[in-house]
Amino acid sequence: MSNAREKKRAKKMRNQPASVTLSSDCGPCPSGIQHHNGGSRSFQTPKQDLHPDSSQEFQQQRHQHQSPGPSYRKEQYFSKGQGRGRGGWRGGRQNVSQEMPKYITASTFAQARAAEINAMLKAVTQKSSNSLVFQTLPRHMRRRAMSHNIKRLPRRLREIARKEAEKAVHQKKEHSKNKCRKARRRHVNLVVEFNRRQKKNIWLETHIWHAKRFHMVKKWGYCLGDRPTTKSYRACYRAMTKHCLLQDLSYYCCLELNGKEEELLKVLARMCSIDTGPTFAAVPCLSGRLQGSLVLYRADRYPEDLLGPITFIWKPKDGSGITSETRQLWIWTHPSLKQDILTELKTVFQCSEPVETCSPEPIVTLLQEEKQTDVAMIVGKKRKREDNEGEKAVPVKKIIGDGTRVPLESYCWTSQTTGVVISDLTMEILRYRLIGPLSHCVLTEALKTASIQTEMADAETELNNWWVENCKNSEKVSLHQRQEAIFELLQGINSPSEIAAGTILGLTVGDPRVNLPKKSSKAMPNPEKYQDNEKVRQLLLEGVPVECAHSFIWDQTICKNVTENKIPEQDLNHMRGELLVPGSQLDLGPCESKIPILLVQQPGKVAGEDRPGWGSGWDIYLPKGWGMAFWIPFIYRGARVGGLQEGLKHSEYKRTPHIPNDFPDCPAGIQFAKELENVLLEKFKRRPPAKRANYVKLGTLAPFLCPWGQLTRDWEVRNKAQEESVVTSSADSKSGATERQVPCEPKPGLTIEDSQGDIMEEMAKIQNLCKEDGAATSSGFFVLRNRKLLKQLSARCRPTCGKGQRVRPASKLGQKEMTEDALLSIFKCYPRVLVWVSLSLLRKGSPELHAMICIPTQEDFLQLNKDQLFCGPQEPKHSDIFKHKILKLKERKKKKNNGNALESGASDALEAKAVEEPKELILGLWPDPLPDVTSHCSRILLGFVTQGDFSLAAGCGEALGFVNLTGLLHMLSSQPTDKKGLVLLRTPASLQYRFARLNIEV
Amino acid sequence: RAALRCRYLLCEIVSEDPRCRQCIDERAVGAAAKDAVARTHGDYGLACCSISFTVKYLNAYTGIVLLRCRKDFYRLLWSALPFVTYLENRNQRYSCFFNTLHVGGTIRTCQKFLVQYNRKQLLLLLHNCTSEGKQLLHSYILKGALLHMDFVLCCMMHVFHFS
Repeated sequence: MSNAREKKRAKKMRNQPASVTLSSDCGPCPSGIQHHNGGSRSFQTPKQDLHPDSSQEFQQQRHQHQSPGPSYRKEQYFSKGQGRGRGGWRGGRQNVSQEMPKYITASTFAQARAAEINAMLKAVTQKSSNSLVFQTLPRHMRRRAMSHNIKRLPRRLREIARKEAEKAVHQKKEHSKNKCRKARRRHVNLVVEFNRRQKKNIWLETHIWHAKRFHMVKKWGYCLGDRPTTKSYRACYRAMTKHCLLQDLSYYCCLELNGKEEELLKVLARMCSIDTGPTFAAVPCLSGRLQGSLVLYRADRYPEDLLGPITFIWKPKDGSGITSETRQLWIWTHPSLKQDILTELKTVFQCSEPVETCSPEPIVTLLQEEKQTDVAMIVGKKRKREDNEGEKAVPVKKIIGDGTRVPLESYCWTSQTTGVVISDLTMEILRYRLIGPLSHCVLTEALKTASIQTEMADAETELNNWWVENCKNSEKVSLHQRQEAIFELLQGINSPSEIAAGTILGLTVGDPRVNLPKKSSKAMPNPEKYQDNEKVRQLLLEGVPVECAHSFIWDQTICKNVTENKIPEQDLNHMRGELLVPGSQLDLGPCESKIPILLVQQPGKVAGEDRPGWGSGWDIYLPKGWGMAFWIPFIYRGARVGGLQEGLKHSEYKRTPHIPNDFPDCPAGIQFAKELENVLLEKFKRRPPAKRANYVKLGTLAPFLCPWGQLTRDWEVRNKAQEESVVTSSADSKSGATERQVPCEPKPGLTIEDSQGDIMEEMAKIQNLCKEDGAATSSGFFVLRNRKLLKQLSARCRPTCGKGQRVRPASKLGQKEMTEDALLSIFKCYPRVLVWVSLSLLRKGSPELHAMICIPTQEDFLQLNKDQLFCGPQEPKHSDIFKHKILKLKERKKKKNNGNALESGASDALEAKAVEEPKELILGLWPDPLPDVTSHCSRILLGFVTQGDFSLAAGCGEALGFVNLTGLLHMLSSQPTDKKGLVLLRTPASLQYRFARLNIEV
Repeated sequence: RAALRCRYLLCEIVSEDPRCRQCIDERAVGAAAKDAVARTHGDYGLACCSISFTVKYLNAYTGIVLLRCRKDFYRLLWSALPFVTYLENRNQRYSCFFNTLHVGGTIRTCQKFLVQYNRKQLLLLLHNCTSEGKQLLHSYILKGALLHMDFVLCCMMHVFHFS
């Protein structure tokens, strides 16, 4: 700080003259000769004027003043009668013997004064303060607009002010104003500008709408709305629970697989496991009736090497029951996972070569598109008109392409051996998500199914030709009518959660812009109309039939047609203006576009007991180009729009893992965690050290990044130590140990033989796996996603008596007791596993990101029993052992710096750097090699929270996180039965532990 | 709170002995001035003058010294300055006296005065020069274009040489 002050002072004093002294040992030599040689050497710094012959010159100079030469002149000069002593340098006369050129004295005399004049002039005329010129003026001399108009300044300051105004800081705005506003806002120029701006990060179709209302972030190659600028945290939650929240998920990536069903299933089975839930081959999904979701792994690598969670849709079969026909499969992934999944798919299907012959059209269209936009960029309006002359309306002026892909790179791959075609349909299909109980009301009000049309509107255009052809087929017409009927029925149901999870409904709708209401209103269900309808009940019972899942959106040529033949907004408004009765319904007749869409029900909260079906909704898939046409009508029906933050909160309240936050074992999750750490660290460093939390003192080892690897490793070490101390027999062969332990354990409940057998199988499998893993890689950790094991664990986490008790079959209890030791022994040999858990706080407190999940001690339970209002224990304050070191380093650095300034030795600076580099200590943070994370604090660490907040849905603090499996089992085995599953939570910046209940929801 | 006002005394050290210039440094000048104050005004005067007393600027070649003193007591210092008769440095003592040129309220005014004063001195120096370079020089000095020191000195040497 003092350094900064010194600098400031130095800046202020830079024009002020320094004192000039004449010291005897290093003589300055202000002789005229020297100044001739030295050119512009300053008089003010005579100390540096060390010449090799300075001593000689100094001698000269000393004699100069004794020289008699100028004496008479001096007399003349002094005789002018100034009040000055006459005999100023009269003493010099006596030394006549010195032969010195007489003129030098006078010149020295003059020169000394001239130099002083110079210095003083500099000090007087030049501004030394940091303020602007007009700021230095006294108040009464200031005038309005002085900073703009230099003529308002006093004349003596104008020159300086002019120089100041010329500085670059004031001219920042000038660059963009090369065109007038009118020119800039002209449509063509605007499009060119927009295309330039989305080169790096692709915009969604609703970008401009979002950019006006949202805080935008650049993520995963897209510009996405993070959160609304309005105050709407609670309003969004209310929309989620009571009405409808709309989200633009068009940034999700769609990968299309085309091939024979058996081929696809055979290969895809390698990438997922039946343990984690239904796979691609699940019957309802395979028929195309339901959307499926699963977790992909690298081929044959389960349970390690997670790729990420996906959802998938099979295109329903075309009626005929042949199984070996080519099927279409859409895999929807998060953009951060896409590259990994795509490359893995390509290697698994051996699709290496991007052959263009297999599907030439999409590539050609892409190229055309790019060509068009390129032309638009270069030439502008006129050329574009020429291009589009033939077609009446080509709305695609933006690059609607992919943000995660390099342009011109092919996006279609085929495999020679199997004939499977993988194509990347990113940004080809838009996806909006409507969350909330009234989302289907919004849908039914906003969308009207397309009318049957048998005649072309205009013979020349391609508009709706596919639809006309379709309508000629009576079978398809009847299918359309059935779809329409089901869609109408949706209005009668209360909530989307009543329909089976993942239900797919294909639809063809008319242009939603046509029936846009004049005023926005809230869509409400109309219960009278559909209250006791048989059909609604039937729909709820049976779900949507398979045929109705069919949609034309699967056909790329139709999608392209629909995109290209969209009536522009401008034309539509023009037609509206020409209506005879202003404001009446616009009837386009046969010209109205028909858009194929897909509605997919999104399941809400399925796990856990409270709030079933919370947060369910509909996803709507649209062909590209129609984004805003559907967006605005939804909003006019009262849907509130949320961004990424709202999506995060939705998944948090729903207690589902969020992509990619909650997948720490997949590459995207690791990447995300790293980025988050950097962001948090930067934020932390921006605060002054005295004003930020000292995490060393708080005992928080890793406030910004969850060290999963170290956590699992530490628990492994811990476990081994315990094992060695307690059990010595079951060390060598683990499978043997389990087999031995199971029979010697008395079985209280023999009723569940078969299920137990199942579990044993499971264990054996996992043991095999872990043996292999132990041989191959022992470094990684992974997240347990085996449903059976998770169910076991979940049952064990619940307290067996107390208010949370539920009616449970006795056999289950028996099973639980029985498997206790067996489970323990399994997981002992498989130590590097994390379990995803949800936590809800018992009383106060709202957990934060990276809060620590710890094991409570016996005393904590005693206190909790004694005192009902006991919030939780306190962590004793730790001592900051690094503070001293940091101070020392700082001092050393300072000294080094000072030394450098004096000596200006380059080697010294290098040395200093070499000292500082390896140990970069930040006050308040642990340096990199962390100590044992589990036992650092007074309570043993179990895991970390990855999402945590006060849950508006539950009314208490809730958190989602991961715990180490070994630790969890260790904790459960030692806890009393009525306190099972109680843990302590501590936020990174606090010493207070809070009780929370741990749940594993499957 | 209003800022504490100061007075700046711009003085010239006049000495017969040119070696005196060696001992013109801040410490010596300050000591000499304080000594004189102590002699003339006693302990009280010394204490009054010592408040924020500093030598702000000095130039050994021209003998210019700028002293700072509180406004309330600058008269004490001013009246004591004529009693400085010598400067002592490194056990060498040279007789000299202080000639107060200007008393100013800010350093800036003193600097401005000093510019004028020096300019006048140079003009006086040139007063008797009778050569072709004189007028040129004159104009240069008046314009304050003394930044071209080399040129000016060249002219001056020329003038002195031939006169």
